[in-house]
Amino acid sequence: MTLTATKTKAEQALSRNFEAVFGRLPGSAEVGEARKAAIGAFATLGLPHRRIEAWKYTDLRSLFRDALPPAIGADEADGEVTAAAIERALEGLATLEAHRLVFVDGAYRGDLSTPAPDRTTFTTLAAALAGAGGFTAELLTASRAPEHEAIIALNTAFMSDGAILHIGERLAAPLLVVFVRAGRQGRLVTTRNRITIGAGARATVIEAHVALAEAAPGQSNTLSEVCLAEAAHLDHVKLTLAGEGASQLATWMVALGARARYRAFQLTAATALARNSLFATFAGEEAKLDFSSCFLGRGSQHSDTTLVVDHAAPAGESRELFKGVLADRARSIFQGKVIVRQDAQKTDGKQMAQALMLSDTAEFDCKPELEIHADDVACGHGATSAEIDPDMLFYLLARGIPPPEARTLLIESFIGEAIDRLESEPVRSAMWRSAKERLLTLAHSQKAEDR
Amino acid sequence: MLEIDDLHVTLTEENRAILRGVGLCVPKGEAHAIMGPNGSGKSTLAYVLAGREGYRVTRGKVRWNGEDVLAMAPEERAAKGMFLAFQYPVEIPGVATLTFLRTALNAVLRKRGERELTTPEFMKKVRAEAAKLGIAEDILKRPLNVGFSGGEKKRMEILQMAVLAPSLCVMDETDSGLDIDAVRVVADGVNRLRDKDRALVVITHYQRLLNYIVPDRVHVMAAGRIQKTGGKELALALERSGYAEFTSA
Repeated sequence: MTLTATKTKAEQALSRNFEAVFGRLPGSAEVGEARKAAIGAFATLGLPHRRIEAWKYTDLRSLFRDALPPAIGADEADGEVTAAAIERALEGLATLEAHRLVFVDGAYRGDLSTPAPDRTTFTTLAAALAGAGGFTAELLTASRAPEHEAIIALNTAFMSDGAILHIGERLAAPLLVVFVRAGRQGRLVTTRNRITIGAGARATVIEAHVALAEAAPGQSNTLSEVCLAEAAHLDHVKLTLAGEGASQLATWMVALGARARYRAFQLTAATALARNSLFATFAGEEAKLDFSSCFLGRGSQHSDTTLVVDHAAPAGESRELFKGVLADRARSIFQGKVIVRQDAQKTDGKQMAQALMLSDTAEFDCKPELEIHADDVACGHGATSAEIDPDMLFYLLARGIPPPEARTLLIESFIGEAIDRLESEPVRSAMWRSAKERLLTLAHSQKAEDR
Repeated sequence: MLEIDDLHVTLTEENRAILRGVGLCVPKGEAHAIMGPNGSGKSTLAYVLAGREGYRVTRGKVRWNGEDVLAMAPEERAAKGMFLAFQYPVEIPGVATLTFLRTALNAVLRKRGERELTTPEFMKKVRAEAAKLGIAEDILKRPLNVGFSGGEKKRMEILQMAVLAPSLCVMDETDSGLDIDAVRVVADGVNRLRDKDRALVVITHYQRLLNYIVPDRVHVMAAGRIQKTGGKELALALERSGYAEFTSA
């Protein structure tokens, strides 16, 4: 006999909300069946909780008090979403020369988007689910996301829209996919993207998850499946500024073909709860993955970055760098699992997670895991957690730089290592702009009696 | 004028007295040398003047132009024109030297109620001073002090002095680790800054630097106090006799 835990308020609400909106969710009958199966799977699993190893530090069952109703289409007249308001929300990305695809509250807005570039196929998820392009709801790599089945099931059940992109050649300008929260009522927005890069093709895809100033705090569940063919290159960037009080569960599932290069960068700030999960599989030999991520946390913000990198092919190289700057009672988690399969000889994997603690009440939890089954590999990991170096700080103060500016310089120096991994100068600039917006506040948040 | 009056300082962590009644007066326009053996408290004096944490003043006063220095935070002392050229300048990865210099200069100008420099004005000034000190421009683009040799770090301290134009320069063993040519370059840089409105305190073990930066007064420091004061000949005398007479008892 199986003992089932009592459903929490949020879990019950999710099942109820599904029933309420099912009829309005896009897709063919087949998709509908897949959604029902997914919500059924979720009902059995429930929200992840601390006894599940991958969710040890981010117990969603206790963190989610309630589930917001899904935002389906434009079912509430919240007023015009102006292009100007979106520019403000995008911060530094607003001026980036890029192709733009805009989703407001989980629905595509062609009027706010620019045409997709030549030699790039773009379909909205909504259209694909309804039958265009022969899409199936079958998730490419669901089985490669252990302990995340509940979150993926919720994504399948509620997904309303997203970007399906196939890039077949070398894209000169980046593709900026904007997911903006605008509604003045709290809503759950569920999106799914699929990005495939053809053999030898190259692109930069930026996901901006932002919120308008007047938007109510929301919940979001976003999933991006990425497939890199042989010798394909993708720079995949994510800026998450979901909003005070907002939560985001983001899952990226990436498959690297032979000699593919996947460079990922994530900057998370101004978000109450963020879970960034990345599952990457080296499916072909000599592929490279470079992941760097930066979290700027204050108040009681909570960020959890969980990676599983599976070297299933030989001679792969993976590099992971995480930087967390934590003020007040902010909490940052980094879980980095690297699996090296038996045949993945000559794997080279390095991981580093660092936290800069700006208060006594901040917390950094770091859990590296190496599961190595091959015998000719070079794998290592490191973790540090430190306060601002007092000697460096004194040097700057002694030169007349006031304490908040001096701390800001040192915090910039700390996160620079992650941000400067971005190859594109305009993208790097945009990320610095969003980071610098927050740094002075972080630098000021030191306790009064500290220097 | 820098006035140090009966200064007693304890090392906070070990509760150990390091300075035991230092008294010193350095008028504007003069260069004073402080010489002494290891452990005499010379560097402690420099750090206490700059406002570093870890030291507790148990007695005494320090005044700069009549103002109570010990009541000021380090950044305030810098704004009042105080500058410490460190013995071991710290490396700050990720902060470009030029960025640091510009931030420091603008902070000081702002505090003094003066206009900040434009980028071209700033670059012109820095390039000119750097050239005189033999500092290559690409070093300026690198993170502050990272991977710099000892000589490069010391010259960088003097470059900062030239750009920030402080009115009290305390140089803590600026000549340590430098070869003869480097000592000359550094000394020339310091000498270019000597004028009637600037006070210099040169802390050193060795007489050699004082051949180039000729002091108006020489103080011998040992066991946490100034034990003897004289003219520049005192430095030469010390070179011959060593510090033995000051370290016994």
